[in-house]
Amino acid sequence: MFVWNADDLDADQVEAIKQPGSVFLSACPGSGKTRTLTYKIALELSLLTTDKQRVVAITYTHRAADEIRERIEQLGVDTGQLWIGTIHSFCLEWILRPYAIYHPALKNGFGVINAHDSERAHEALCLQHGGGLRSFDCGHYFTPTGYVISCADWKRPKVDALLQRYWQELRANRQIDFEMILAYAHQLISDVPSISILLGSIFTIVLVDEFQDTKEIQYGILGAILKASKGQARAFIVGDPNQAIYGSLGGYAITSAELSRLSGVAFKELNLSKNYRSADRIVSFFENFNQLASNITAEGELKDFASVISYDCSTNRNALEAEIVRLIRYNIEMVGIPPSEVCIVGPQWPLLASMTRHLVTALPEYSFSGPGMVPFARDIDNFWYKLARIILTEASPQLYIRRNRWAGEVIAAFDLAGVNTDAITRKSLLRVSNGITSNVTDGLANLVECFNAMLPALGIDYTTYPMLTEHYDAFVESSQKRIDRLTADGVDAIADIATFRKVFDLKSGITVSTIHGVKGAEFEAVIAFGLLEGMVPHFNESDKVAAASKLLYVIGSRAKKNLHLISETGRRRRGSELYMPTDTLLACSFTYDLVT
Amino acid sequence: MHISRLQLVNYRNFSRATVKFQKGVNTIIGENGSGKTNLFRAIRLLLDDNLMRMAYRLDERDFHRGLGEWRGHWIIISLEFTDVSQDEAIQSLFLHGVGNIAGAAVDRATYNLVFRPNVSIRQKLSELAAGDETALAALRQEISLADYETVFTGKSSADFADPAVYRSLVGDFEAVMFPNELTPPEIGGIVPGMFSISNEIGFTFIQALRDVVAEFQNNRTNPLLTLLKGKSGEIDEAAFAPITKLVLDLNSSIEELDDVSAIRHDIRDTITDAAGETYSPKSLSIRSDLSDEPDRLFQSLKLFVGEAEADYEGGIHELSLGGANLIYLTLKLLEFKYQKVKQTFANFLIVEEPEAHIHTHIQKTLFDRMNYDETQIIYSTHSTHISEASNVENINILGRNGSVCEVYQPSTGLDPNEIGNIQRYLDAVRSNLLFAKSVLLVEGDAEEILIPILIKQVFGISLDELGVSLINIRSTGFSNVAILFHDQRIRKNCAIITDLDKAFIDLTPDPLDGDDLKKSKKRAFASQKAGQGRASALASLCQGNNWLSAHFADHTFEVDFILAGNSAAVVSIVGDVYSDPATITLAKADLVSGDIARSGTRVLTMARHVGKGWFAIILGKAITPEVYIPGYIVKALFNAHRPISDEILACIIDYRLKVQLEANDALRAQFETMHIYLERFRTGDIDFADVRDEMLTAFPGDRINTILATL
Repeated sequence: MFVWNADDLDADQVEAIKQPGSVFLSACPGSGKTRTLTYKIALELSLLTTDKQRVVAITYTHRAADEIRERIEQLGVDTGQLWIGTIHSFCLEWILRPYAIYHPALKNGFGVINAHDSERAHEALCLQHGGGLRSFDCGHYFTPTGYVISCADWKRPKVDALLQRYWQELRANRQIDFEMILAYAHQLISDVPSISILLGSIFTIVLVDEFQDTKEIQYGILGAILKASKGQARAFIVGDPNQAIYGSLGGYAITSAELSRLSGVAFKELNLSKNYRSADRIVSFFENFNQLASNITAEGELKDFASVISYDCSTNRNALEAEIVRLIRYNIEMVGIPPSEVCIVGPQWPLLASMTRHLVTALPEYSFSGPGMVPFARDIDNFWYKLARIILTEASPQLYIRRNRWAGEVIAAFDLAGVNTDAITRKSLLRVSNGITSNVTDGLANLVECFNAMLPALGIDYTTYPMLTEHYDAFVESSQKRIDRLTADGVDAIADIATFRKVFDLKSGITVSTIHGVKGAEFEAVIAFGLLEGMVPHFNESDKVAAASKLLYVIGSRAKKNLHLISETGRRRRGSELYMPTDTLLACSFTYDLVT
Repeated sequence: MHISRLQLVNYRNFSRATVKFQKGVNTIIGENGSGKTNLFRAIRLLLDDNLMRMAYRLDERDFHRGLGEWRGHWIIISLEFTDVSQDEAIQSLFLHGVGNIAGAAVDRATYNLVFRPNVSIRQKLSELAAGDETALAALRQEISLADYETVFTGKSSADFADPAVYRSLVGDFEAVMFPNELTPPEIGGIVPGMFSISNEIGFTFIQALRDVVAEFQNNRTNPLLTLLKGKSGEIDEAAFAPITKLVLDLNSSIEELDDVSAIRHDIRDTITDAAGETYSPKSLSIRSDLSDEPDRLFQSLKLFVGEAEADYEGGIHELSLGGANLIYLTLKLLEFKYQKVKQTFANFLIVEEPEAHIHTHIQKTLFDRMNYDETQIIYSTHSTHISEASNVENINILGRNGSVCEVYQPSTGLDPNEIGNIQRYLDAVRSNLLFAKSVLLVEGDAEEILIPILIKQVFGISLDELGVSLINIRSTGFSNVAILFHDQRIRKNCAIITDLDKAFIDLTPDPLDGDDLKKSKKRAFASQKAGQGRASALASLCQGNNWLSAHFADHTFEVDFILAGNSAAVVSIVGDVYSDPATITLAKADLVSGDIARSGTRVLTMARHVGKGWFAIILGKAITPEVYIPGYIVKALFNAHRPISDEILACIIDYRLKVQLEANDALRAQFETMHIYLERFRTGDIDFADVRDEMLTAFPGDRINTILATL
């Protein structure tokens, strides 16, 4: 059995992972939720009695899955019987691919299109039939009984008609998008009960991270599997209802009673309410937006740190960049926080793009990173993305485990494409990759050159495999588009190979991110702007107070030491009306500090 | 769970074959070259860890040769498993990979190897215009093995051995019609990457004539070591610790031996003397290197067996070959028992020709008792003795038809009662019925003894050479055995030879008849009636069955033999039957009387006098190339053995020519001429009708002409 050091976990965490039955765990920010999950998985893996069983863990992102797997391996536990990944990967690997022949729309094979492709398809349809609709209006998600279109009411009939066309097109091409992965998985689970019975007896436990962002249809899929196992499979559900910021995508924090009804599983409800991340002052700030009864206490090393929490609702949008530069300099140069521990958060992509552009020019001595600075599409299922990860990273002891796993994924993708991989091992693949270099400075051209050197070196002509060709075109095209867009925004260095390499570099430089993008992350200093009613919360939200509270809660709880909030003035809505500061933030009474 | 079906399409010498298996012990019967080894190889490509890799290296030699042009065709090897349950957790991972869901349950599992052109070739094929043979030929020219892919699928629903199914999935190469659907769901889904069949099941292949002694001596293949490791999975370190200590102590004791340390000193000194201090190694020692690793130590364990003398146990290499094999098989079976502990839920043991390993009697006992749950045994044999050990329902027969191997199940479609009858029949007669290429069924000793002689003498070719087995069913009744030969079962020709028992005396009652005559007329009438009944029963049995035919002597074998023109032959042996000169004279007169009532009665009286069997043996010596074979026997022979190859026809004519030459050397000129025609026939220069005409011209008096006229 897996044993841990006494100071690895606190008493609450130990209680949670030692529960023999199913657990429903609400964990506050910085409470060691991921650590608890990791140790729970390690413990479960060590308790498996046969090699026929699997432990399944659903994470919100691929990155989280990778990190947890790595941590478990570092704990010395064999992950051979662990399946960990996103719900979409789960549905693909455990339901759609194995049981495709039992679904009329999938039985003749199917391809998965990535977010970029479906956005492009929406765009094309909007241009053709849209009547003023834009691709972002086409947001929708499936429920167990139908689908929900997220845009404003008056556009809905039009979007509905457009989606019908979109789905028709996909069906004709035997393609499915990310939303349909869930819809079809749910249909299969409902129509073919044997699937749940088989999966239910393979899984000893299903762990779900970030349950607050899980959709009804996802709860439905997992619930059916747990139910079919007749109590054999347990559940370990972790998350923080306060951080449920994906409501517009259908995510919501289910209650344990509701999930019990759905899955037939009896839960022990537990809480983690000790924050080990932030200073006491930070905790007491974001506690203002806590919508649960729980009471969070700061327990970490920084507990007594003299935090600076500032709120600025007077800076004009024209002076915003200068103010943020001042705050960055304050934190790095005055407080002594390393650049990699500083994060700039904004509500929307367009605002962030222009902010990045200005900051890159205003602070040439610092580097910037974050999702907005990635020069190619982060499409985890794209073969060439998988290969790029290996090409763009250097062989180093720190990266050994990770690159080894990536090599395994590349080989698995080769298999999927129909390539004979008998002669390829992880080692040989890495060896070939390490031996290939290009002197081209343009990132994409460099990558393409490496691709075209590497496949022949492996004895593979990728043009004879339709999947590889398709993925190749998608990767190159979407990357070029991104680079063009970022260059147009003034981020000149984006096309450089150095920027490409930085994507998989261990964290470096100042992070620029959307609020949704910093989920799960932590920084010593967080600078948030655009805290304006209509942006935070988004104007589409029905419960504005709740939505704003969750966003502010997420922003506030990312910070370890300092937190700077800005509701800049002078931003105009599409009419001529000015944006006003977020009501919920204004309503919060807190003694802010001044940054001098 | 067990394998219930194996289908082979275009694989080696199988064009399309379906092999059915039952739970427990199964037998594959087949002559040499009938495809037993290829059939096993096919199973191994799917299940045997040691051979699976070869599935990715199929090449053009693996395509069925009968295809001619292989390019574009698929090879399919399909296994079906039944007796599965979605409610057994141990099977879940297996069924997740390959279980077929029907309604609310998983009712079977299918696991297939498909070797097919890759999608771009399939796409090109689908784009061909129907009937465009030129374009198809051009496209096929371009296809190479590099365009082929191996995929493993599960959950398939197709009956791959059905030609219509093959055309719909792969295409129709004659009509140039190819499916538009490149990913037909019927072939099943590609098995998930995480699926590994060797984690789920146990599989062992025991090759014919394997050198078990060598396997025992090889650490990798020694079944004893596998067992020691498999028993508990891992070695208990605590239990092993004292042993490790003993080994270490032993090592240091050896190192401390006076001689050892003396030698060490001497080596050092010599090196220093020879190379000088500077260039000598800094240190040097002699170490005892007995391993303290459990794995290595286990290698020193050897099995000792006392075979003959109770008080002497010898090593495996001292055992007889049979003994070593017995031990080997036993250890393999034990391995399966242990694997159950390790959670393989089904075990398969494939034994190639066990007669090569162990004595048949031991074998029979072994297979009879080997009913471990969840272990299925499939063995191949060409020994009639072992086939008895197997149930007729668990038998597959491989037969070769030219270059194509076919598979038959002798019990398909029969009711349990019929199967029981056949089983008992096979058990009782230990028959080689199942091994034959074609069969003549007869009912009496006379036929059993004389028909082979007749054929050998008249045609110059033995039944064995023709591949015909003559089987005397004695009083079992033809229909009980003949039902084996059927489209659904054994697809080999079977001709039944029996008597119609038509009366050959005038049956009209005559008031002057004495009691004896009255009685024999009555008896003859009853026989005739029974004969008619038998004939119509057999006729309806053969109705619509191309494999089966019935052939009747109008009266009985002996009588029809006379009627065929052979009274002289019978006359020649009268002296062997009777000793009384008067009776001999009377008998000869009867036989040559030309009156069937007299000659028929006489020959039957002679047969009864010495017993039918003995009579047949006496008559056998009177059979010369000059006898006339009764027509119904010729018909039966060439119904069983068909088609008759030109080579066989040529052999027969050749033989007849020699017979003629021997009888009359004056005919040498005709002989030589005829020989030239015969050679031309052999080379295909002239056809059978021509050579037959020439034979008739050259030797109009030869018996064979009338027979050839019927062929």
